[in-house]
Amino acid sequence: MLNEKASFKSTAKAALYLLPMLVITITFNIWPIINSFLMSLYTKYDFYTDKVSGWGFDNFVYLWNDPDFHLAVRNTLVFVVGVVPITVILSLIIALLLNQVKIISGFFRTVYFLPFVTSTVAIAMVWNWMFHGNYGLVNYFLSWFGVHPINWLTDPHYALLALIIMSIWKSLGFNIILFLVGLNNIDHGYYEAAEIDGANARQRFWNITIPMLSPITFLVSVNGIIGSFKVFDEIFALFQGTPGPGKADLTIVYYLYQKFYTEYKYPIAAASGVVLFFLILLVTLVQLWYSRKHVHY
Amino acid sequence: MKVTFKDVTMSYDGKTDTLKDLNFTIPDGTLVSLLGPSGGGKTTTLNLISGLLSPTAGQIFFGDTDVTKKDALARKVGMVFQNYSLYPHLSVLDNIAFPLKMAKVSKAERHAKAKDLAKLVHVEDQLDKKPGALSGGQQQRVAIARALAKSPSLLLLDEPLSNLDARLRIEMREEIRRIQRETGVTTIFVTHDQDEALHISDNIMVLANGSIQQFSSPQTLYDQPNNLFVAKFIGEPVINTIPAQALAADLAGAVPEDILKQAETAGIRSEALIPYDAGENVLAKLHGKITQSSKYGREATANITYNGEHLLSTEMAGVSGSQPELDFYLTKSGFFLFDQSGALIFGGESHAK
Repeated sequence: MLNEKASFKSTAKAALYLLPMLVITITFNIWPIINSFLMSLYTKYDFYTDKVSGWGFDNFVYLWNDPDFHLAVRNTLVFVVGVVPITVILSLIIALLLNQVKIISGFFRTVYFLPFVTSTVAIAMVWNWMFHGNYGLVNYFLSWFGVHPINWLTDPHYALLALIIMSIWKSLGFNIILFLVGLNNIDHGYYEAAEIDGANARQRFWNITIPMLSPITFLVSVNGIIGSFKVFDEIFALFQGTPGPGKADLTIVYYLYQKFYTEYKYPIAAASGVVLFFLILLVTLVQLWYSRKHVHY
Repeated sequence: MKVTFKDVTMSYDGKTDTLKDLNFTIPDGTLVSLLGPSGGGKTTTLNLISGLLSPTAGQIFFGDTDVTKKDALARKVGMVFQNYSLYPHLSVLDNIAFPLKMAKVSKAERHAKAKDLAKLVHVEDQLDKKPGALSGGQQQRVAIARALAKSPSLLLLDEPLSNLDARLRIEMREEIRRIQRETGVTTIFVTHDQDEALHISDNIMVLANGSIQQFSSPQTLYDQPNNLFVAKFIGEPVINTIPAQALAADLAGAVPEDILKQAETAGIRSEALIPYDAGENVLAKLHGKITQSSKYGREATANITYNGEHLLSTEMAGVSGSQPELDFYLTKSGFFLFDQSGALIFGGESHAK
């Protein structure tokens, strides 16, 4: 009934339906999150007996003084700044072009969407070959413009750029689809009204398309920033289980992975995870604050 | 500005013509309604004028200028859309000023102009709100102000009142009339509501099946319909239509014999059936039976059976009940005869006088 009051019985019944999902979420999400927050505060910890004999902020002090962690944070920020804006702009441009193509748009959509459904490992293998210093397609293409061969994957100066290029390419597909949905949701009447109001094609783009797409642009950029902060699998696959030449591609999550799986410093790994958590939280809050003013729903 | 269509044909798919050989001239400074049933070509005609569509064949003139090949950008008309299409991300002030912004008018100047227009349409106290926060009537006013912002030579309104409730519709149609009078802009108004068209327009163009059925003043449309379609479309209650054959005996003498022979359908307005002899104005005396009568407010209707045909009269108040079987009179005005093709062959003012 629509007018039924919430009672203990009805609430209990609802909880029963929610229980299966709740059990899974608590076991695999909530509990680990709480646990890793706690773990980041362990200063004396015996993994084998699971005994904690000291608490404090020593792990964070360690991170504060660790040059490797500084490098990881720096690389992560460069990666985010390198990937997200270009992805947003490039996928918007491609979506706009695809929207203009009427005849074989389905074919193009599929082609652009393919990277999203392809395994990262497979993509990394292909790009590994494309980035090859002697036989790679990228260097071959650049040679047309007189650029000397670049050792993309072995030169520390270029390894992060190589990762950024591959990540942009990989994330385009999904974002293009999102932008296409956004473009199709804009009522055609606004364009007619704007045309009547004397707006030419460029003015219609800046005054109708861009503001009306702002919710999608917001979604794509928040999604992109969070995803880019967590980058790991692309590095692992592209550099065969190393953080790139001379740690050129060491990111926060890769640092966390190293501390956890190769050095067994669990509390340090947990602390770096907490730092990452607050970093993402901070950036997302800034974006939310910005969206209040500039995103029109 | 004067608008002229010359042999305009419009086809969306290249097979069926939505509009066929349209010819008309809308005089400068008037308010003209495009009236007709759905799918009759009203909105197509309006979009041809605005430049959002270009005709398959024929020419369109604004004044003496051929604008057939010009797009909406170049024609500089103002338009109010059925759903208003106000830009949801802009404030009321920015919405009204938008056409001026596109024309690169300075900010101070366009805001001053927008405020003047807001005053004209009575939304000056809503300037900072977003369109979503306005009522339907207010949105309508803002849309009109926006359409007027660039001082267009033509104001086009596409079913502007269809999203409003009944009372607001009457208020807004008076407002549109007032704004049109104050600005003197040539206005073209699309509607499917005859009541709206009759109240607001200087002239009405009835469009159906892709061609003009009649283009005349509202009164002429009612008193002298060109054909059966217009007679049936205009007027509330709907005109009585019965086979001319049923009336033949009573009309003998009153109507020339050759016309009576061609007549296929007779149209009788409900107010043309009266219970008393009005002398000069009476065409014929009929005999029938009142089967049902009802009264709604100031309106009374009576159903009459005449020669096996049903007629509706609005003039029989007070007669009913006591004398179900009666003589009644058919007046000259409000009586029409149509031939097989539906064209008017008898009736209308020229015969009634």
